[in-house]
Amino acid sequence: MKKTVQIPLGSQHISLLEPIRFKFECENEKIIGVDADVGFVHRGVELACTRSFEFKQVGYVVARVCGLCAITHSLSYTLAAEKLLGYEANDRIKYLRMLMVELDRIHSHMLCLAHTAENAGFEALFMQIMSDRELVMEVQEAISGNRVQFDYISIGGVNRDLTPELSALVHKNLTLLSEKVDMLIGLFENNWSLSLKYKGVGVLSLEDAYTYNALGPLARAAGLATDVRAETNDFPYEALGYKMILESTGDIHARNFVRLREIVNSIEMCRNIIDNLPSGEIQEKAKGKPNGEAVVRVEAPRGELFYLVRGNGQNMLERVRIKTPTFSAIPAMMEVFKGAEYADAPAILASFDPCMSCTAK
Amino acid sequence: MFRSMLEAFKNLFKPVRTHPYPAEDIVLPSGYRGLIEYGIDACIFCDKCEKVCPPGAILFYQHESGEKEYRYNPWLCIYCGECVRACPKPEEALWQSEIKQRPAVVEDGANEGWFAWEEACKKSREEYAAAKKAAKTQNKSEE
Repeated sequence: MKKTVQIPLGSQHISLLEPIRFKFECENEKIIGVDADVGFVHRGVELACTRSFEFKQVGYVVARVCGLCAITHSLSYTLAAEKLLGYEANDRIKYLRMLMVELDRIHSHMLCLAHTAENAGFEALFMQIMSDRELVMEVQEAISGNRVQFDYISIGGVNRDLTPELSALVHKNLTLLSEKVDMLIGLFENNWSLSLKYKGVGVLSLEDAYTYNALGPLARAAGLATDVRAETNDFPYEALGYKMILESTGDIHARNFVRLREIVNSIEMCRNIIDNLPSGEIQEKAKGKPNGEAVVRVEAPRGELFYLVRGNGQNMLERVRIKTPTFSAIPAMMEVFKGAEYADAPAILASFDPCMSCTAK
Repeated sequence: MFRSMLEAFKNLFKPVRTHPYPAEDIVLPSGYRGLIEYGIDACIFCDKCEKVCPPGAILFYQHESGEKEYRYNPWLCIYCGECVRACPKPEEALWQSEIKQRPAVVEDGANEGWFAWEEACKKSREEYAAAKKAAKTQNKSEE
């Protein structure tokens, strides 16, 4: 008779210091069953958006949902509120918003790559990627005035303009960064310890990605062509050199490569945005009060971010619903664990880049 | 192995990437979003900054004489700059400086002191509104 052992991972773990728990059912060293639990923290952001804050202030509240993708959260809410007000931003505002979202994607992907390198036992690479990430953080700080909670996007525009000095800084830092990323691509491809540990580990097949509704880099690494940037037309992504990055193997190595190649693509897009920045106002009046219901989808670094906003013509909103990428991707994540070795679990977990700060809102 | 040892030896003479923070100050970028500063002479007490502030870090205390007193909590402020944008007299009455706020100490009363102030502001406004209403009804009855 076969014996199985239950092993919990989390809710706090060395490989992921965030409140998520996986309960593995192991047969010897192999994981045969997984149970996930994400409901450890409840911050009541959705209720606060409808009870304590007026609709103009909510953009700053939802930015506090997550420190890393603050800009994506505030952008999603602002787009939804602007739809309800019947306002459409001019091209300059759209370009500046896109620039910040792409910079956000670069630094979020670099953080995830640093963690996956750390979980392979490659501490030096972890530190190197984190210090290279400073180049993007510097740009974001210079543009928005803040390092983490950017508070850059407001209803009707953006809060700060891009000066010629800032454009030069962005160009300079992105050039330095693209050299570093090229070096990282070489390292992730050729380094013996990274490729040995990550090729063929934590595989998500294309059928499973379809069945379990995988999102973001997790899906694109399995060959599933899903990206909100290609599916919506809120922003002119196609005109600025957006390319869908697809890999086929679906393992950790493929996920790392999707992220690395997306960084390269985002750097290219940022350069295009700065070179082709249209002229115009950066702040316009969006008058009225939100009435009706709006749904907005934006591609966050980790996948699709979904916002539903309902207003009834008053200052307070009726309902704000946030569906975050990690929460939607959990069934696919659980599928990846089945059949893997227990020792690989932390590395697989880090390669998903789960964001509990977003999920436990 | 020889190559990695050579790299390690070279790294000994490279400049460090970290910043020795408390010993050396961090250079903030120009346009850093710092403290909100207030000029009482230009203020017209329209309360727009108070209404628009997302965390409620600006409050006005209503004195019985009709004057208002401005109070700002820099430890509650999120430095979004919405108040400055709402102000009808920016740069004179309310502006955002590039000064970084120091950490709060017990004497600042960043929590308890502020909660007491919030209560006091709320009470002062209610009392002022009640007193004004009472004066109005008295005037009417005298007429």
